[in-house]
Amino acid sequence: MSTASEKLRASAAEALACGRVSLVLGWRKKDFWWQSPVAFVEAAAEAEQLSFDPFSVYNPVKYLLEATECHEKVGVFVKGCDSRGINRLLQDKRLEREQVLIFGLPCSGKADPAKIRAVFPAQKIREVAQEGEELLVRLTDGQERVAAADFLLEKCLTCRHPNPVVFDELLWEPVPVRAGVDVSRFARVNSVAQKEILERYTYWARQFDRCIRCFACRNTCPACNCRSCIFDQAEPRWLGKASDLADTMNYQIIRAFHVAGRCFECGECERICPAGIPLQEMNRRLIMDIDKYFGPYEAGLDAGDSPPLGTYRGEDPAGFDES
Amino acid sequence: MKKIAKTKLQELWRCLSAEGALYLPVRSDSVVDFALWQEDVPADLETLNTFLPPKKFYYPQTETVLKYEFGENLQLLDASSQAGEKTILFGVRPCDTAALSLMDKVYLSEPVDEAYRRRRENTVIIALGCREPEETCFCQTFDIDPGKAPGADLLAIDTGTELVVTAQSLKGEELLVALNGVLQEATSGDEIRVKDVQEQAGEGYLTRVSVHGLAEKLDTCFASPYWDRLYRRCIACGTCTYLCPTCHCFDLQEYAAGHSGERVRCWDACMFTDFTQMAGGHNPRPTQKERVRQRFMHKLNYFPRQHGGEYACVGCGRCVRQCPVNLDILEVIREMGGAVDGQ
Repeated sequence: MSTASEKLRASAAEALACGRVSLVLGWRKKDFWWQSPVAFVEAAAEAEQLSFDPFSVYNPVKYLLEATECHEKVGVFVKGCDSRGINRLLQDKRLEREQVLIFGLPCSGKADPAKIRAVFPAQKIREVAQEGEELLVRLTDGQERVAAADFLLEKCLTCRHPNPVVFDELLWEPVPVRAGVDVSRFARVNSVAQKEILERYTYWARQFDRCIRCFACRNTCPACNCRSCIFDQAEPRWLGKASDLADTMNYQIIRAFHVAGRCFECGECERICPAGIPLQEMNRRLIMDIDKYFGPYEAGLDAGDSPPLGTYRGEDPAGFDES
Repeated sequence: MKKIAKTKLQELWRCLSAEGALYLPVRSDSVVDFALWQEDVPADLETLNTFLPPKKFYYPQTETVLKYEFGENLQLLDASSQAGEKTILFGVRPCDTAALSLMDKVYLSEPVDEAYRRRRENTVIIALGCREPEETCFCQTFDIDPGKAPGADLLAIDTGTELVVTAQSLKGEELLVALNGVLQEATSGDEIRVKDVQEQAGEGYLTRVSVHGLAEKLDTCFASPYWDRLYRRCIACGTCTYLCPTCHCFDLQEYAAGHSGERVRCWDACMFTDFTQMAGGHNPRPTQKERVRQRFMHKLNYFPRQHGGEYACVGCGRCVRQCPVNLDILEVIREMGGAVDGQ
């Protein structure tokens, strides 16, 4: 078992044993090598199940909304991306800082099961473990080591903040930011932006046409933290239930605008979308525009800052660029 | 029994598309799903699970069931003609084929759902046997043979360089006649190869669970504290239900403007907050706990109780692979006492 997992277990067990928190959110392993769901640990003895492996990806922060309703204080393990979600909830006044004990986990990126399956036959994989900068792939007939950097999730390839930006304890040393992320961060947006307007419409229409309105993107997003969502409202019904492209665009574009200036780029919406819709391209397009019109801004870095679309300044430009 | 070389499938599809609207698994961006055949778009016959199960062809995500117009009197307009197109589904996997027979129990029992029945009648299913299960496949749990698809009109088996096709219904036999020009007679050697592939398909399952006695066991589990723990991870999205080949719940919506309107049937998901929201504001399933319990109890207890012991799951594994928080039916079967064997 990796030392990272051991550190998570020790920290959780200690915090639960001495009563600092009554619940800790981390990750555990499940049946398959690529499954590392969020674990709800309520007793020191249960901390043994915690694990931090190449698939401990799911952002546990949204669970804090419900967890803090029945627990006075909740411990939560966060990677860089997850930690910005905490600032999101703090800034949106959906969480108080003293309600959470934050264990920070510097993270050099998580693995994409699809990339691993493309190289190794999935039926043969038993376990994929992180060992330094390598992934150790245990197969039914032996094992192989590969460079972890070659198997990173798309969202990790463009991550600017691998180290938690808010925490009470950091479990290990910070890690360096990947080279070239400033370019890769907007690479896909730029390639879409280069398309002619009709081609761009066709592209997005094709993407949204696959949307089944499962709402996984919204439900996982810590920036989507409204107590009641307009798209769930039955009377009046703002969003038709019929699978209609215009309504899907209505949902997706309004959601993107609602999280504009608040999206902290964890990329979970895109990663978990069962229809493979490149949602981050929309979010990052809006981030680009905000950078351009209101000055560089990254959401979720500081719960005390003034979000550009939540702040009025006299010198703000009045209109949108027609181009 | 007939056969065709895999290099000549384009010819087969061209002929099939002359017989009806032909849909087969096609990759678009990162997703493989059933799409209308186009001459120059390659089909994907390797991927086992399409993004959406073929249930959408019988039970579309959105369907107008009624149109009306207010004049001097209220006029009801027939909206049922849309279900008439002859459709051919190529490459439906055995699990998804089995799911349709479960769906039939709901929509073809009295009162029969006419639009569904018409679509069923007008569709020919050409199933494609599986050669090797994926890691998330567990169709065997429900006695589904991955090399066979008894509910299909035609069964195609990939023997390596050829597809060997067998008719399994009158519709299938008629279609085989229409395809005479492109198909060859299969030999006794092909028959042996088909049997080999079918036998092999059933081996190599990584995921083995048993549902023996589970429905009975769940009779007493409605109030189990198990659900209190299970639901917390659920984010209340509709991925599991919408991707499930057997989930079949819907909502009726009214689209009205001016003097006319439509009543539309849309997929709905028991995971959503508003699924059981009453007009007066009361919600009999007030938290996600009741909703998560509902889904699994429906699949593993209520459905078998209502439909002769058959579970409303075919082990396709879509929910196992796609649930964003890894909360799936395998876990529930294991933890609620289905016998475990293997992994």
